[in-house]
Amino acid sequence: MPIEVPAKESIHPGHLACPGCGAVIAMRFVLKGLGEKAILAIPACCWSIIAGPFPYTALKVPVLHTAFATGGAVASGIRAALDTKGDEETQVVTWAGDGGTFDIGLQSLSGAAERNENILYICYDNEAYMNTGVQSSGATPLGTWTTTSPVSMPKSTRKKDIMQIMAAHRIPYAATASIAYPEDLVRKVQKAAEIKGTRFIHIYAPCPTGWKVPSEISVRLGRLVVQTRIFPLYEVENGVRYTLNEDSVGYLIDEYYKLQGRFKHLERETLDEIQLQVDEQWDRLKKLAAL
Amino acid sequence: MKKVLEGSHAVSHAVALARVKVISAYPITPQTHIVERLAELVANGELDARYIRVESEHSALAAVIGSAATGVRSFTASSSHGLALMHEMLHWAAGSRLPIVLAEVNRALGAPWNIWADQTDSLAQRDTGWLQFYCEDVQEVLDSILLAYRLGEEISLPVMVVFDAFFLSHTYEPVDVPEQEKVDQFLPPWQPTEQLDPLNPRALNQLASPEYYMEFRYKIQQAMEQALTSYPQIDGEFFKLFGRSYPLVDRIPAVAGKQASLALVTSGSITGTARVAQEELLQQGVAVDLVKVRSFRPFPLQQIREILGGYPRIAVIDRNISFGSGGIFAREIAGALASLPQRPQLYPFVAGLGGRDVTQQSIAEMVRRALSDAPPEDVLWAGLKA
Amino acid sequence: MSPVSFKGAGELPIFSRSAGTMEWNHTGNWRYLRPRYLDKDAPCSEACPAAEDIPLIELLAARGEFDAAWQRIREENPFPAVCGRVCFHPCETACNRGEYDAPVAINCLERHIADNARRQGIAPTVVQAEETGQRIAVIGAGPTGLSAAWQLRRLGYAVDLFDARAEPGGLLRYAIPSYRLPTDVLEWEVKLILDQGVRFHPGRTLGGNLPWAELESFAAVFLAIGAWTSNPLGISGEQLAVDGLQFLQDVREGRAPEISGPVAVIGGGNTAMDVARTLLRLGAKPTIYYRRRLEDLPALAEEIGETTEEGVSIQPLLAPRSLSGEPGSLELTLMPMKVIEKPDSATGKAKVAPSDAPETTIQVNAVFTAIGFQASSGLPLGTMAPVGSWLQQLHVEETPELPILLGGDLVNDNRTVVTAIASGKAAAVTIDALLTDKHPGQLLEAGQVGGKGALSLNRLIGGDRRERQQHVVDFSELNTIYFRYQQRTEHPGLTLLERQTGFDEVQMRISTAMAMTEAERCFRCGICDQCDNCYLFCPDMSVIRNLRQEDRHIDFDFCKGCGVCVVECPRNAMILEEEPR
Repeated sequence: MPIEVPAKESIHPGHLACPGCGAVIAMRFVLKGLGEKAILAIPACCWSIIAGPFPYTALKVPVLHTAFATGGAVASGIRAALDTKGDEETQVVTWAGDGGTFDIGLQSLSGAAERNENILYICYDNEAYMNTGVQSSGATPLGTWTTTSPVSMPKSTRKKDIMQIMAAHRIPYAATASIAYPEDLVRKVQKAAEIKGTRFIHIYAPCPTGWKVPSEISVRLGRLVVQTRIFPLYEVENGVRYTLNEDSVGYLIDEYYKLQGRFKHLERETLDEIQLQVDEQWDRLKKLAAL
Repeated sequence: MKKVLEGSHAVSHAVALARVKVISAYPITPQTHIVERLAELVANGELDARYIRVESEHSALAAVIGSAATGVRSFTASSSHGLALMHEMLHWAAGSRLPIVLAEVNRALGAPWNIWADQTDSLAQRDTGWLQFYCEDVQEVLDSILLAYRLGEEISLPVMVVFDAFFLSHTYEPVDVPEQEKVDQFLPPWQPTEQLDPLNPRALNQLASPEYYMEFRYKIQQAMEQALTSYPQIDGEFFKLFGRSYPLVDRIPAVAGKQASLALVTSGSITGTARVAQEELLQQGVAVDLVKVRSFRPFPLQQIREILGGYPRIAVIDRNISFGSGGIFAREIAGALASLPQRPQLYPFVAGLGGRDVTQQSIAEMVRRALSDAPPEDVLWAGLKA
Repeated sequence: MSPVSFKGAGELPIFSRSAGTMEWNHTGNWRYLRPRYLDKDAPCSEACPAAEDIPLIELLAARGEFDAAWQRIREENPFPAVCGRVCFHPCETACNRGEYDAPVAINCLERHIADNARRQGIAPTVVQAEETGQRIAVIGAGPTGLSAAWQLRRLGYAVDLFDARAEPGGLLRYAIPSYRLPTDVLEWEVKLILDQGVRFHPGRTLGGNLPWAELESFAAVFLAIGAWTSNPLGISGEQLAVDGLQFLQDVREGRAPEISGPVAVIGGGNTAMDVARTLLRLGAKPTIYYRRRLEDLPALAEEIGETTEEGVSIQPLLAPRSLSGEPGSLELTLMPMKVIEKPDSATGKAKVAPSDAPETTIQVNAVFTAIGFQASSGLPLGTMAPVGSWLQQLHVEETPELPILLGGDLVNDNRTVVTAIASGKAAAVTIDALLTDKHPGQLLEAGQVGGKGALSLNRLIGGDRRERQQHVVDFSELNTIYFRYQQRTEHPGLTLLERQTGFDEVQMRISTAMAMTEAERCFRCGICDQCDNCYLFCPDMSVIRNLRQEDRHIDFDFCKGCGVCVVECPRNAMILEEEPR
């Protein structure tokens, strides 16, 4: 069954992403879902570099590059300006990495969400500060190697549950998505585009460079992470209504972990612990989705 | 129309007259009245604008950067720690060449906490690329907002309108509030050269490599220098429409047509007190010329040299300090005068930090010291409890 | 697109903003691996002795392009209407989809494609080489000979086709009953071959009224006279039994005997099934007796199924001991057998021997035998040597220069229609090689699809299949996430009553919609079907599509060689290779 997504392309080749970059695949599908009228605010992240330096751009939509912590705030300002001009069509989109969302950008995101700003906030999550050289972030999973959590001292805490955080703000729409499920991703973007208020999409975007995996399995990892239930695909509306989009088969997490250099050092014990956490999280999600 | 307005509210009304479209600010004493009044004006429809009630100053400035980049006139206000929190974004706004106007209430920085008048907070941002105008009274505060938009939009740089905490922010003074029609004449709608537009998509503020960055910085400096030329013309127009003028540096001689042996340099609300002190001193037979510095950025090098260069002595009152160096106005003035073959003796006073009162008496005392003491090596502290 | 440049501060905008795209940056120079579109072979094509290009055939059928699918089949196999009815479909056994949910109903689809062509009255496109002017003699107009004739014509040889019987078709006409293979279907397909300019000489028997001397004037001879000699029962009274194959021929020629009541059929192959089912339709009550176990029955599973459904009982582990009585009222004594050795492989048969249980004698009105066949006689003397998988070459001392090949049931143990067809094709290729001074072994090798002997003429004569990598795509090499489970189409058939009382074709037509749906189930292992995964997942927008020509290629200016396209291809139609330096 061929994948059906809108045909429009909004990225120029020649950009500076690493081979196999999940962040670019994510951007491509999101822009397909958004159509012509969108303005992106990009706080510091890989895409600040991928899009190319002055005097070039690799995107066919207007982009405002901005400081690291400001994703939610800058978008609020752009939105306000468009509102005063009477423009109700153009989507204002924050396109941020996990650093600019989970950590340094969390405040401005939370503020924007509390105000229910009419923006679409998209976090493409490669689970570390990749642009600055693979340092640990609030999105880095338990036990992962990064340059600031080396193998002798791997990350000892779990990944922040950003979806819970956003659901707690009771925003009208929050969803997870993965680059390996493009139709689902596009559907969610299109659905979000129709809603007013703060909408949040958390996209899983593999980073071959930072995860120490061969570039060709980038999309495969995006699939495995869902199939192993590590990253379930679901939506939350108004903070309370949960919909599970993919009743994943539930492969053992080993299928996902064994492919990645950043997890090579993990002991059986840790993997078992992680498996328990994944199972627990899945059960909780199913209960919330009333399944 | 004459009204009695609190300094903060004068800002609010000026912002409304300027037909600002997007306002975003985070409350901090003593700026709060500005934003509260603006929120009211927006809520009751007197001001057709969007008010973004952000969760921090950093976000406030980020928000107006977003709105200004989308081509609408934007405003924010802060003070002290709020301004300090914005620091990163102050640089970003100037580098983006966005004519945002920020009302900055001069308040001391902690630690320890202090909510009263002190100029160190705004001066600590002197390298950011923002223009800075220091206001003497509430009328000047109101007028400066309008002048700031006009100038900022012409040279594409952001402008800070600076005034003292409580002495101006919370003090009521009679003010001439301009008519909307005349303001519209003076301040037409902003025509940005560049804005975020899906019909003309571009990337703004991408990385600039060493190949380009320096030229961008050069252009900011150029714009600052351009301001020194543009401002007098704009001020002239303002005078024509409203009958008031605010030169970048203003000399108020003790006796018209004569040059005294001492020039006293002040900024902010201290200038008002200095005028009274000048009169009193004259009655006592001491002639002191006042020099009010309104523009700190761009620093009016030429006017400073012209106006102050010929004095044998000059005393500068700084309600601020750069630790390890001294009063900031004094140091910049000294720098401006350094190229002159003959330089006045400089008496740099640091006074009034953290809201300590600078009275006519303390000013008179500073004048006496400047006239009689030997040239100092170090920072001169006035009003200090030794 | 050359980069934007500024000569100085004066030319710069007042702040950093874009004036051009990144397309000047040819990121292709980052590459050390590069992707390539490379079609490969599929296990179904490998399993099909005729090496039909099944993935492409199903792709065309899924799009409703039945004509093109039919032409594609005929490149390798001129008998799709026949095979679509009687083939043992090794393709389905090898089908990768079988490991996913259920194999594609390739056999059923082949029938639909052929029947569609027949209904539309389409003529086959025949790409024919220049006439060589040489004449080839093909003896035996069964599927082997007819297949050879078809391919020989395509290779530019004139063909004289001889057969002992009055009509061409061999076992297809004279043995397989019409409820499995209607006569008009066979005649249509045979005519398509003969219409290519094959001279058919009926009623000519080798060793009889077709002397060997007559054949010496040909450039080459292909002997495909089949195996029509029934194996004897080897029991007393066997002359009272009727040869099953002869019986079927008689029925086919309109000389069906009057028969009723209980009858016995000895044997377990397709012929035995055919005999029993024909007897049923004539009004008798047949029972099949087979010496081994039910699981050892050599007949096609579907045949066995249909036979038992129609009410014919199959009694295993019973062998005939003796036969007595008179025609119309016989006594058949049966010995019970026992397994003395289980087979050592899945396809092997158990070894059996008479058990100690007492014999039984039954009263039947007739006994029919169908216990296997031997090669027909009439061959000249000489030495045989195998050529490839399906042929033998005969060296006759008296005519050392004359290439003589043997094929089909005559020399192959695997006696199925499609094997016969493959054998005929191999003969044509071999004859062509021998007559043009090429090494036949090399040619047969060059046209191989996979490692089971399947020979593709398309690949051999430089068709598009030559471009494919000779690697058979295994199920583990597919990216099955892009497929959906879907039930295999059931082939509808006549009701039981209709089947038992007439000779109408048992299996019915399926609709075009059903055919397209079933063809869509094909994974298209190894060939690109324009699904666009490569295009959609490429992070560097480096897959260029020419939608009108259904062509896609990599833009090597920008391709960074990440390889995502290759992994996300569901059907392994791409490879990743080292960047040439």
